[in-house]
Amino acid sequence: MSLHESVEIPKVVIVGHVDHGKSSLIGRLMYDLGEVPSEKYEELKLVSEKRGMEFEYAFLLDALQAERDQGITIDTTQIFFKTKKRKYVFIDAPGHKEFIRNMITGASSADIAVLIIDGHEGLKEQTKKHAYLLKLLGLDNVICLFNKMDKINYDERKFLKVREKLHQFTTSIGINITATVPVSAKCGDNIVNKSKNLGWYNDKTFCDILDTYDINKDSDKLPLRLPVQDIYKIDDKRVIVGRIETGELKLNDELFFLPSNETVKLKSFEAWPEAKKKYISGDNVGFTIEDQIFIDKGNLISHLTSRPKLMNTFEANLFWLSEKKLKVNKQYLMKINTGEYNIFISQVSKVIDTNNLNSKNSSLSPEKNDVCEVIIHSSQLIPMDDFKDNQKTGRFCILDEEKIIAGGIINLQNFPDQKDVIQTKNIKPVSFSVTEIDRALRFNHRSAIIWMTGLSGSGKSTIAKEIEKKLFLKNYNVFVLDGDNLRAGINRGLGFTTEDRTENIRRTAEVARLFSQAGFIVIVSLISPYISERKKARDIRPEIFKEIFIKASIDECKKRDVKGFYSKAISGEIENFTGISSPYEDPKHPDLILNTEKESIEESVKKLENFIIKEFGMTNNS
Amino acid sequence: MNSHLRKLENESIYIFRQAYRSIKNISMLWSLGKDSNVMVWIAFKAFLGKIPFPLVHVDTGKKFKEMYDFRNKYEKNWNVKLIKGDCPPVEEIDPSLPPAARSAARKTEGLKKILKMYKFKGVVAGIRRDEQGTRAKERIFSPRDESGKWDVKNQPPEFWDQSNFNYPDKVHIRIHPLLSWTEIDIWQYIKAQKIPIVDLYFSKNGKRYRSLGDKDITSPVNSDAKNLDEIINELQITKVSERSGRAMDHEQEDVFERLRTKGYM
Repeated sequence: MSLHESVEIPKVVIVGHVDHGKSSLIGRLMYDLGEVPSEKYEELKLVSEKRGMEFEYAFLLDALQAERDQGITIDTTQIFFKTKKRKYVFIDAPGHKEFIRNMITGASSADIAVLIIDGHEGLKEQTKKHAYLLKLLGLDNVICLFNKMDKINYDERKFLKVREKLHQFTTSIGINITATVPVSAKCGDNIVNKSKNLGWYNDKTFCDILDTYDINKDSDKLPLRLPVQDIYKIDDKRVIVGRIETGELKLNDELFFLPSNETVKLKSFEAWPEAKKKYISGDNVGFTIEDQIFIDKGNLISHLTSRPKLMNTFEANLFWLSEKKLKVNKQYLMKINTGEYNIFISQVSKVIDTNNLNSKNSSLSPEKNDVCEVIIHSSQLIPMDDFKDNQKTGRFCILDEEKIIAGGIINLQNFPDQKDVIQTKNIKPVSFSVTEIDRALRFNHRSAIIWMTGLSGSGKSTIAKEIEKKLFLKNYNVFVLDGDNLRAGINRGLGFTTEDRTENIRRTAEVARLFSQAGFIVIVSLISPYISERKKARDIRPEIFKEIFIKASIDECKKRDVKGFYSKAISGEIENFTGISSPYEDPKHPDLILNTEKESIEESVKKLENFIIKEFGMTNNS
Repeated sequence: MNSHLRKLENESIYIFRQAYRSIKNISMLWSLGKDSNVMVWIAFKAFLGKIPFPLVHVDTGKKFKEMYDFRNKYEKNWNVKLIKGDCPPVEEIDPSLPPAARSAARKTEGLKKILKMYKFKGVVAGIRRDEQGTRAKERIFSPRDESGKWDVKNQPPEFWDQSNFNYPDKVHIRIHPLLSWTEIDIWQYIKAQKIPIVDLYFSKNGKRYRSLGDKDITSPVNSDAKNLDEIINELQITKVSERSGRAMDHEQEDVFERLRTKGYM
């Protein structure tokens, strides 16, 4: 009983080149520790015989048929066992280069990393790649095992030679090798029991090294980082929930929220069956606050001192997992802690060849399983830390078409924190007696400006009408500002020259602002052909502005010509007509694209509805 | 509660909240066994006393009487919304499976029916990595196609608590909040939190059940453990595996993988 009380259970990951003996090592370790149930041993003996093999320890972990038949590990697995000192979770990660994503899945949760190298074959391609990836995963203290010593007659000189090469490599990538042990998983040398064959090695066995390994946890000592995971409405309370990534949280703490830059006091902890007064890193908390301010999923909470940075441009090291090559300037989704942001990669600075650490021959388009250095931009401000300061809030993943395609760690050294920039911008001219948050709480959604831009005939008005109806039926306060209708009233007298178009957009944006302050979701349907003018509209309320590109080619719109404008424009009857005699500038990074040429109106409307609800709806847990 | 259990509990709560936030329409399997009771307990913690989605009992009709009694009692006591689903007769199941596995596969079909009927996009299941080799290969958020198929050779990446949530319409996600727990963790947690369980787990006449399934394909193991402490002590030293009393696991080398790729939990 005492054995398990309050002791840490370290997670150990074994990585290395394919067939260097990762699964065999774990199997052997478990067997030597007496951790293999007798019936399991008999079962595996049969399984091995069936395949005409000697007893294969790897089958303890390689449970899948395909793995046993091919003799390789395909997916990561975890297995539990105990030594005399403590319990462990062992993570076996595949070494085959096809399965890097599975290796990362396995290794990302580890406390201790073990790199295994075939003493006969030496450092191979995946040995180096895995070592480099360990670095990116923040595992920079590594135990190294030289396996298959039986194959090289337990020769010390050969061992020293490989070790020398390993040290050269790991030093150059900033990995610290904490121990090197010659072993044979097959024969059981230096795994649990000291080997008679390796008399020249006087140090600890692998098992002893594990048992004396100190997994330092400094997450409590780091500054508070608490990403907002969700907001529950329970009875009349608004309960913010999230996990403390680092630091501590107590009653009456002053909390600082990013990106909103607001400060508020923690009022009460909420938990079932009862709440405590203080929580530490790793704890999931639920709490209420003194004043009602805008809080959204993905916000990052800290104390007033040691705040995170707020960035829209930063450097990162990525591992790329997608079959598709990285595309510069393409829009991707970034997930960091509980936040989601649209980003694009503006520059690939270097694609690293992990074999020799040089740049890969002048190619700057990373492909599957490459690691690279990039610069990332976002139109939104993203709270984060440098990976060196805080691993938990300094790493992220990238999604394309809603699938994870890359992971990365953040380097903030070369770009400025944006917190100071927005502080001056947030001065509010009037204070209202009924605030926007009061309205949002009653309406159960936040206000928004949904700015739909696109050619005449692309489908803006149709989509606007449909989305208004749909949201209204869901009890949303929603209102459409349509370009044509506004021209009949507030914008009467404005023509289609560049100056008039600019004024038209300015007035529309101001009206949209008023509606948003009244708590509405405003749907703006306006050709708004210039990037610069749409940028001005966004700047009026960037935090709630979403640019939706209604995409249809000019040929398609001409074909549709619902209002008969195109034929008139072509004949010269109408001047300054967008797409014919006046330019339309496609949005570079819209928040959403609705391609009405490829999707039906219903599909476009559904996509937009999901988008609005996801971005502006409020979670209701009651 | 010790720091290890606290860490596991925290991981599971985070998974629950992440699932509820990210997947539209979810439910949770309640098999009435020890693991799924721990799961219900943690869901109460995650959602502050009220579980905002229904529990599902896929009923093979062949469970022990004690299990049905337990279900009826705690459905009320815990005030949970419970969906009870039935399973097709064994004759409708793939005849190439060995007998016990074929019988167990009824549950897969029963589950598919409920998923279809209620259009659940996510279903929480209490499987653990230490139970069985193929379960050790699982993801926390694990996609299944319409037929419930598990594409084990092509699982999505999952790291730093980030997972894929958006899949085509007919795909549902299995959510596994207890994946990192071991059998002994479950018992220590049950003890620390005083979670009710079916008393078939406690020894009577030198035998007890370590894992509960259908009456006809589940047998008790030799044991004198009559209470929680004795069970925990027994598990420290035993070399018999947890599912040794589940006939379906032992008929053929690959039978559990076959069951699971077809949608078994």
